[in-house]
Amino acid sequence: MSSELSILAIYGLLVVVILLVQVLLALPQVGLAYLASPRDKDAHLTGTAARALRSLNNSVTAMALFAPAILILQAQSTMTSTTLLMAQIFLIARLAYWLLYLAGVPWLRTAAWLCGFLATAYLYILAL
Amino acid sequence: MTPELKVLALAGLLQVIQYALMSIPANLQLGIAKTLSPRDPQRLGKPLMEQVTPAVGRLFRAMNNHFEALILFTIAVIVITLSGKSTSFTQTAAWIFLAARVLYVPAYALGLTPWRTLVWGLGFLATTSMLIAALL
Repeated sequence: MSSELSILAIYGLLVVVILLVQVLLALPQVGLAYLASPRDKDAHLTGTAARALRSLNNSVTAMALFAPAILILQAQSTMTSTTLLMAQIFLIARLAYWLLYLAGVPWLRTAAWLCGFLATAYLYILAL
Repeated sequence: MTPELKVLALAGLLQVIQYALMSIPANLQLGIAKTLSPRDPQRLGKPLMEQVTPAVGRLFRAMNNHFEALILFTIAVIVITLSGKSTSFTQTAAWIFLAARVLYVPAYALGLTPWRTLVWGLGFLATTSMLIAALL
């Protein structure tokens, strides 16, 4: 398995972790009974739990954009040391983004998001 | 075509079916004047999904949940397929995922507590084990 594909699988597992943390943070605010219910009324999350939810949604969006780039490169067998570096930057930037979001650090979080975003964009350019 | 890819195609079709299940009653309830409009919040009064019956709201949330589940499952399937790591374990996990996602829809629509959560967890666990199997 190529390293880029491994990074994609690892990022998938990171999203799994982000989701589980989000549920654990929401649990004390809304309760297990609400989570198991059909959630007909929107729960209003606050603080870290709300941040966890926003970062989860953003992580899923990033995943939807990152995965095709890696799959195109893999299908074309056009992986280089640059594509590996971009994938590594993406993974580290997304991990940092999540932690910075939970900690409520402004600006740096945006910088981390931008790193991941630009790395993804560059992967698409390299794929063409 | 590997069994995982076949399940992926079926899971994609499940998304299409969930779209129809949600949008047909939603259009009937809201009227096409609202759904065809640009849906500007100030003109709608409140979000469209708060104007439909609870059952349609549930189908909408179930559909959105499948988008997320599908993204993660797609990654697991593609990584396994491209790296040639398909085994009977990953194939079984893929089918379990699909079965869980099919059951998730009626479990949500009927408000079956805690079955919806358990079925969701089963699909999530199946995807996670496929991702881990791909890395081993």
